[in-house]
Amino acid sequence: MSHLFQSVRWRLLLWYALILLGLITGLCLLAYRLADNDRLSQIDREIRNFQGTFFRSLFASRPLSKKDTPPSLDEIRDRLRDPGEVSAFPPELHALFEGGSGGNYLAFWDGDGTPLFISANAPAGLKPPVPSKDGDTRYISRDNYREHHKTNSSGISSIIGREISAEQSDLLRFGVLLALGGGAVWLAGLGGGWWLTGRALKPIDTIGRTASRIAAGNLDERIEIADTDNELDRLGHVLNDTFDRLATAIERQKRFTADASHELRTPVTIILSETQRALKREREPEQYREILQNCRTAAERMRALVESLLVLARQDLPGPEVSHVSCDLAEIANGVADLLQPLADEHSTKIERQLSPAPVSGDPHSLAMVVQNLLSNALIHPPAGGIVQLKTMANGSGSILEVSDNSPGIDPEHLPHLFNRFYRADSARNQANGHSGLGLAITKTIVEGHGGKIEVQSGRGSGTTFKVELPGQ
Amino acid sequence: MRLLVIEDDPLLRHSLSEGLREEMYAVDTAEDGVEGLAKAQGSDYDAIVLDGMLPGFDGWELLLRLRREKTTPVLMLTARDAVPDRIRGLDAGADDYLTKPFDFEELLARLRALIRRSSGAGSNLLELDGIAVDTAAKLVMKEGEIVSLTPREYGLVEYLALHRGSVVSRTELYEHLFDENEDTLSNLLDVHVSNVRKKLGSSFISTRRGHGYSIE
Repeated sequence: MSHLFQSVRWRLLLWYALILLGLITGLCLLAYRLADNDRLSQIDREIRNFQGTFFRSLFASRPLSKKDTPPSLDEIRDRLRDPGEVSAFPPELHALFEGGSGGNYLAFWDGDGTPLFISANAPAGLKPPVPSKDGDTRYISRDNYREHHKTNSSGISSIIGREISAEQSDLLRFGVLLALGGGAVWLAGLGGGWWLTGRALKPIDTIGRTASRIAAGNLDERIEIADTDNELDRLGHVLNDTFDRLATAIERQKRFTADASHELRTPVTIILSETQRALKREREPEQYREILQNCRTAAERMRALVESLLVLARQDLPGPEVSHVSCDLAEIANGVADLLQPLADEHSTKIERQLSPAPVSGDPHSLAMVVQNLLSNALIHPPAGGIVQLKTMANGSGSILEVSDNSPGIDPEHLPHLFNRFYRADSARNQANGHSGLGLAITKTIVEGHGGKIEVQSGRGSGTTFKVELPGQ
Repeated sequence: MRLLVIEDDPLLRHSLSEGLREEMYAVDTAEDGVEGLAKAQGSDYDAIVLDGMLPGFDGWELLLRLRREKTTPVLMLTARDAVPDRIRGLDAGADDYLTKPFDFEELLARLRALIRRSSGAGSNLLELDGIAVDTAAKLVMKEGEIVSLTPREYGLVEYLALHRGSVVSRTELYEHLFDENEDTLSNLLDVHVSNVRKKLGSSFISTRRGHGYSIE
């Protein structure tokens, strides 16, 4: 049961039912009240008319002597005490004298409480009206009767009433009909609400089912979106965009893992093949030494690869320990150039330093890795005997690092992929040098992690220049 | 038996070729697709070990081009083990497939199987009158006794035994017993033949003058 009320559809319907019930009840009560008031005021009007008829008839049978002046109080008292012959009254007033139940009745009392006239059909135990604060004249509903109570300033008080049980049962019937009708409308409303909520929630249901299929691994599926611009379609677009980005990230991750394992396979194959070969027969120590050397080279390649992968993983998900401090790119570049001098000597390449202060804010260790990757790339690739230029400078908004060589240049077809992970313009040579194909990818990740950008310019015969722009402090 | 190893990684190329030489194969090497295709087209190898990822053009491309003129058995080595890659390799004309990292013994067994199949032999043990050649153990037995042969002599016996009944020319023998780095005189072949005859009986290898040698 509890899960039923957690369902959005049921909860919506519950609220809807409550609100609808309140509205219908209010409307029915209002209608009932209006009908009630309407009937009462009609009855009151009838009562007043009846009083008028009675008085006119009272004086019509035996006209007063002075015709043009209204009758005096004493004349009225006299007439009430002695109304005269029944036959002198119109037939609708005969019940006043002949008794019976139903219809209108009258009662008049003098100021001292003595009855002047009480009609024969009046209910038993009728008492003179009690003067009230509300005024001298008022309408009162009492049991099955509606009465007009009046106390004159002269002391004469009157009750003109009428039995209203027929009207009351009419009203009751009307009330019951109203309740039944209201209930029917409420139920119809509930049905409509159930249909409407179902219809409104159906796209959400579809989205949910599609999303769970995607979560189950069907990454190519997308939510179908109608060509409108309602809230759910916008939600669908947002979700589809999210799925797109997730799928791309997963695809990239997959490719990266595949590439990484691919890169690890070759050195593992070498170690396996060399050790199996070594163990197959007795050998000279020199041969064992050579095989061990080969295994070591393969293992070193694996180490370099694993380290590069770790660096990349750290750059992809920078932890809290990565702190940015103020440092000078020129100092870092100088240190790295000193470190790589032996490599330059090995390739008979000259490092030309043009280092002017270039303040940046960043992680000096990572930035040194940037310089090292670019510089060692430049030292290894061009033919021996070249010149590699290492420049740092501050420009208006930040700092610039440039590494240029006079190599034969990189083929334009390779340029767009140069910063891709595991991309190698020339696979055989790079791997032999212990390069994992991750150096430039790491460089790019670090530079972008510092909010900078890296670009490469290369043309056949004009050398290659890597330019790193980092924002200032 | 002469093999061609096409592999771009220098260390792995060295390891494979040395390992195979120790198994009495004559081994040529190539480091990229262009060189590999040229060598594969230039000689009749008994089998080719081909890496999938090569500079120049890759192993699949090389296979497609090679298959236009030669049916040399090819064993593909690749770091990619996805099923579509394997299908692509086999459809391009590879005869077998090994995923890196592989076991060296398995590579040897698969190479033996490839060579056996292409020469029409059914098993690793070749029985000739009183003489058995075990191509797996690289041994020759005469009446149950192991006869000690040098690698070159064994290679000569194995090749002739696999092509039993047909005349093998001196050039063909020469091509399949010596690799590209050996610049030996062709009369060295006669020395090996005479040594084998001394060890296994003079009638074991017959000479067809002007044509070559054969084992009946």
